[in-house]
Amino acid sequence: MSEEHAPRPEEDRREFAEETESLWRVTFAPALWALHFLACYGLVSLACARGLFPIGATRAGLVGLTLLVLAGIAWLGWRGFRQWDVHSTGRRANPGGHAEDRHQFLGHAAFLLAIISFIGVIFVSLPLIMLEGCR
Amino acid sequence: MTALACAALPWLAGCAGRQSALAPAGEDAAALHTLFIVMLAGAVVLFVLMNGLFFYLTRINPVALPLRHARLLMAVGGILFPTIVVGTLLVWGLSLLPDQRRPGDGLRLHVTGEQWWWRVEYQPADGGPPVVSPNEIRLPAGQRAELALTSSHVIHSLWIPALGGKMDMFPGRETVMSLRPTEPGSYRGQCAEFCGASHAWMAFEAVVMEPAAFEAWLAAEARDARAPATPEARRGADIFAREGCGACHAVRGTDAQGSLGPDLTHVGSRQSLGAGRLGTGLEDFATWIAHVDALKPEVEMPAYDHLSEPERRALAAYLKGLE
Repeated sequence: MSEEHAPRPEEDRREFAEETESLWRVTFAPALWALHFLACYGLVSLACARGLFPIGATRAGLVGLTLLVLAGIAWLGWRGFRQWDVHSTGRRANPGGHAEDRHQFLGHAAFLLAIISFIGVIFVSLPLIMLEGCR
Repeated sequence: MTALACAALPWLAGCAGRQSALAPAGEDAAALHTLFIVMLAGAVVLFVLMNGLFFYLTRINPVALPLRHARLLMAVGGILFPTIVVGTLLVWGLSLLPDQRRPGDGLRLHVTGEQWWWRVEYQPADGGPPVVSPNEIRLPAGQRAELALTSSHVIHSLWIPALGGKMDMFPGRETVMSLRPTEPGSYRGQCAEFCGASHAWMAFEAVVMEPAAFEAWLAAEARDARAPATPEARRGADIFAREGCGACHAVRGTDAQGSLGPDLTHVGSRQSLGAGRLGTGLEDFATWIAHVDALKPEVEMPAYDHLSEPERRALAAYLKGLE
């Protein structure tokens, strides 16, 4: 067995830990989108069907939440874009199996998911902005 | 090509008619019609453009695109353009929605879905007592009427395609729709939610009238039934009482006060029988009485096929006379 194939468990674990974290980050933007969706529909239902809170305040609060969520997704997208690192490497795709390729690929995926989540959040909030009251 | 277009022309006749969302006779249906036509035209244009592009790139000029052009095509055609199109349609659709849900400005109706007919009560604008007249919805043209909908057993859905969108009716809940018909005429409504064996036979006439004519009709509808005028009709009234029809049907002004089935006080002036099932000739009444179970499978009303032919005719004459 040659030197370069010798097992190096410590290094592997460190590397894997970093990528686990990066793998989690890929899910953050769609998760924000999902939570925003749940908050919008859930709170408007509670305001309209149960009358728990006034609908005007609910709408204003949810518009504020929407802006926060959009900012969060934009930040996640920016981080993903930086991790993808397309400008300095010039590599759009990362087909190689090296740690760096995996790292950049996960950044790329996070960036694209952030774009679609951003659009999704805007579409979910349009009825909130355009439809007045509970009718 | 011309021959093909000519051959297709007769099919366009299917777009007109009394139960077509493509022949709108009201404000709400007109808005939906415009939305549909614009989306259809847009879809046709997109279909032709996409297939034209495929054809061009695979047959006419099958060269590899420069990478930069391909990426631009994907970013613009795959992300930017669909986002803008879907976003625009969403904004437009949402801007139409409040109009469809606008509260009424006059007449208010209560419609209850039954198995398989429509219980309809008109609440006049002047606050008088409600007027009961089932299986037909009459509306004054140029006014926005509000329909409060509910159901007694299962979920139904009220839909008059020529006048507006559909709205579900739930047992124990009230939903509201409003309609502003513009063209006087007779249209056909239909239950649009599967509700059992006779779902397809659960229809009704939707009659749009000039406001003055509507007021006159409503006043007439509020009156008690007229007494049978001919000897045959009087015999029919006796048979009606003898057979116990009044246990389920009301004929206001008589002993018949049942409320399980449709109110028959003015059944002779309706435009259909059995919730859009038959016409309103004498023969239709006689057929309905004898074969109701065949005409409307699983209906609650028993078929009175034990009545003799003359008895059926007499009963038909009585009911037809209830104008």
